[in-house]
Amino acid sequence: MISISGLSKRFHTGDHAVAALRAIDLEVGRGEFFVLLGPSGSGKTTLLRSVAGLEKPDEGEISLNGKIVYSRSRRISAAPEEREIGMVFQSYAIWPHLTVAENIGLVLTHGRSKMSKKSAVEQIRRSLELVQLENFEDRPARLLSGGQQQRVALARALAVNPALLLMDEPLSNLDARLREEVRANIKKLATQLGITVLYVTHDQVEAMVLADRIAVMAHGEILQIGNPFELYRSPANALVAEFFGSINWLRGKMLDANHVETECGVLCVADSRRCDGAVIVGIRPEDVRLERSSNEDENRIEGKVMSSTFLGDQVIAEVKIGEKTLIAKAPPDDREPSKTVSVHLPKGRLVVFTEPAAP
Amino acid sequence: MKGRWVVVGISAAALVPVLALLLLVLWMGFWQNGPGEPIVYTLNHYRNIFTDSFTYKTFLNTVGFATTAVLVSLFFAVPTAWLVERTDLPGKNFIFVLVTLGALLPTFFTAMGWVFLLHPRIGIVNRFFVDLFGLQQAPFNIASISGMGWVEGLGLSSIAFIMVVATYRTMDPSLEEAARVHGLGIFRTLRYVTLPLTFPGVIAASIYVFTIALSAFEVPAIIGMSNKIFTFATFIFYKIQPLEELPSYGVAGAVSTVLILLALLLSWSYFRVLRFSHRYAVVTGKAYQPRLIELGPKGWLLAWSFLGFYFIVAKLLPFLLLIWAALLRYFQPPSWVALSQVSLNNFYGLPWKLMLQGAGNTLILMLTVPTLTLLICLAISWTVLRSGLRGRLLFDAVAFLPHAVPHLILAIAAMFATLFLLHNAFSLYGSLTILIFVYTISRISFATRILNNSLAQIHPELEEAAFVGGLKLLQVMRKILVPLLKPALVYAWIWMALLCYRELTMASVLVTSQNNVTLPMIVWGLWLGGSLNQAAAANLVVLAFMLPAVLLYFIFGRRSRVTEVA
Repeated sequence: MISISGLSKRFHTGDHAVAALRAIDLEVGRGEFFVLLGPSGSGKTTLLRSVAGLEKPDEGEISLNGKIVYSRSRRISAAPEEREIGMVFQSYAIWPHLTVAENIGLVLTHGRSKMSKKSAVEQIRRSLELVQLENFEDRPARLLSGGQQQRVALARALAVNPALLLMDEPLSNLDARLREEVRANIKKLATQLGITVLYVTHDQVEAMVLADRIAVMAHGEILQIGNPFELYRSPANALVAEFFGSINWLRGKMLDANHVETECGVLCVADSRRCDGAVIVGIRPEDVRLERSSNEDENRIEGKVMSSTFLGDQVIAEVKIGEKTLIAKAPPDDREPSKTVSVHLPKGRLVVFTEPAAP
Repeated sequence: MKGRWVVVGISAAALVPVLALLLLVLWMGFWQNGPGEPIVYTLNHYRNIFTDSFTYKTFLNTVGFATTAVLVSLFFAVPTAWLVERTDLPGKNFIFVLVTLGALLPTFFTAMGWVFLLHPRIGIVNRFFVDLFGLQQAPFNIASISGMGWVEGLGLSSIAFIMVVATYRTMDPSLEEAARVHGLGIFRTLRYVTLPLTFPGVIAASIYVFTIALSAFEVPAIIGMSNKIFTFATFIFYKIQPLEELPSYGVAGAVSTVLILLALLLSWSYFRVLRFSHRYAVVTGKAYQPRLIELGPKGWLLAWSFLGFYFIVAKLLPFLLLIWAALLRYFQPPSWVALSQVSLNNFYGLPWKLMLQGAGNTLILMLTVPTLTLLICLAISWTVLRSGLRGRLLFDAVAFLPHAVPHLILAIAAMFATLFLLHNAFSLYGSLTILIFVYTISRISFATRILNNSLAQIHPELEEAAFVGGLKLLQVMRKILVPLLKPALVYAWIWMALLCYRELTMASVLVTSQNNVTLPMIVWGLWLGGSLNQAAAANLVVLAFMLPAVLLYFIFGRRSRVTEVA
């Protein structure tokens, strides 16, 4: 559906140029819900805007639905109106001088489809139904609440029956409760209509709830592409691991293919990714097991609980092993862990990266 | 706090004269006889101006003149603003700077150029067509309402441009992008989204330009007066400085009062429309540039032809004609004969002693007026935004008056006061002091608006932290506010200094002797005296003197701040 290769873009601010995209390659399949995830300045919005034709890249090629819409080498750069897309903007971009119906009607009658006014009325009604805004047709758009504007923006984008729907942080201006509700609705609509979605966000929870696949971006590059599970369990590097929730890091040195000497002693690892020399070993707090009795397992170390915070559904504990402090999440029934515990770091849950990528 | 009352006191002391001058105008309109005689009140002046057909003719003239000016300025400003803000036209920064600086070019300068170009008797274009086709009558006449409106509109196009650009900048660019991605092409987007959304802003700009043109003095004075075509401004001027009869202050007062009411009404509607247009303005906080419309080489050619035409008629042509005129003893169209008579005699023959005197006075004005205005306006802005004083909005309203009230009328009121009310106490008539006083008052609106905008962006906690640290208010102003406001202060200072330099309207009333003569007044004096070619030469000298100041503006004052002028 979307095929991007070697896409680069630099921005010039005064004297120096900033690379917003560095040779991006990306394939998004038909009907896929694909999320671009990254911190601000990672280039995710620039990538989305390049697909929309709102930004002109410097290098590379983009094709949508098998049609090349941008190619540096072939000197093709289709205008936004020539690409068959719908788009929801972060600010919603609802035209304040028009009513709700006119906002949708304008793209139907004067956009790509050039629909007659009469058939547009029916289509407007249908798309407002999709977002549960029936009977809002004659409301002046600038009198709508943020949540309603967001829904009109979605209705407008869907009204043109686009093969591809682009969404640029559509939930970031909504309050937390509304956000969850709209999020669920977007997911439902996308599945129901079988539409391909390219979605930009900086919120990892949002990405995990919505996405079939996620591309994690930073500094204009794609760090990793995968489904939420892959990204969480086997991150490609320390940056991706950090982006998906908290993680403990241990400095260490590879002894052989399966053993690392760390600040907390020698650990046995399953996944060493052919690292050698200085490495960092990561483990997520919920994988740090605190046990009273010591079994004969691997990776079992003596530790001391320094503090523990009860959060209802879990307990967050700070465990000191030698000079190193690890954060552990334990089940809530373990409310008062004994001072000295046996810490178990399951080898299947340890991730190992070469040192320079250290955060 | 003592400091607080000092600051409030300064603002009040500066604003009282504004009100006093206005009341004076009102009072003047009821005087039966000339000053010096016992005062007899009458309504006759009002009765006369409302029954005299000449008033109606002047009214129609003025409205026709202002309307033409609005149309001409929009014709150039709106496409130029769109090209600069929304397309990939190369050299946009250059255009922006050039058009902005155009706001500083004295209007009397271009007006003279246009007289040499299109005057029915001497204008070279007219002479060319008359000779070529053996016409009985000149085809163009700059000394007409539409001709003067054209020249005024060219002058005001810079201000209109600055205002329309501001409308584009406050508009959320994704509103246009949403149209493009959903299939509307460039022209449909322009028609259904951009134009309707910028429409209130353009209307506001029109009202603003109309208000200025309504009381504009320079163009009607340079082109119209000698041809007996009057607008309100020149009519009032003529009443207080007539050629033959005695001055009639009563009539001037009555007409001025009507004009002030009209201007206030327009300013009120300007704010109404502006508020409406702000409803469309969205601050997204997203700092990306909107996608620029690719014009392609053909589009560039078209755009540059349009802009080229604009620059040629608005700036270059009047300039070239002034140079040509300055080099000749008698004005005549270019020819081999004329070329052989070219000399620098006009420059040698200029009243250099007077010009040096004028240059000195102008320099004093350029240094004192902006400094005084900023000191006063800092006090006013603080009073309005920070003092918490009850009635602080009244300060804001009064500070706005000098914008709405025609400057010519402010000057007349001040002149009247110095001549007949204060003459026993102070001898201000014909002094440089009265020029400094009126110039300063007339700039209060401009400077308070800039300082209000900037002060509103400074968090009050920055000052509160200093108060808590034990600093007194005046120290806080000096150590905290002035450094933080520095960019705005520098910009406003330079801009006001340049406006001071080109000021002719107020000077035309207040300059009465060699003591307080200014450079523009010397040019105007030569022009009125009929030495058109010498006036052209003097004008070029004046413009050359201005260059260093413009350079200063470039180095220190240029930023996107220019948009705040509007």
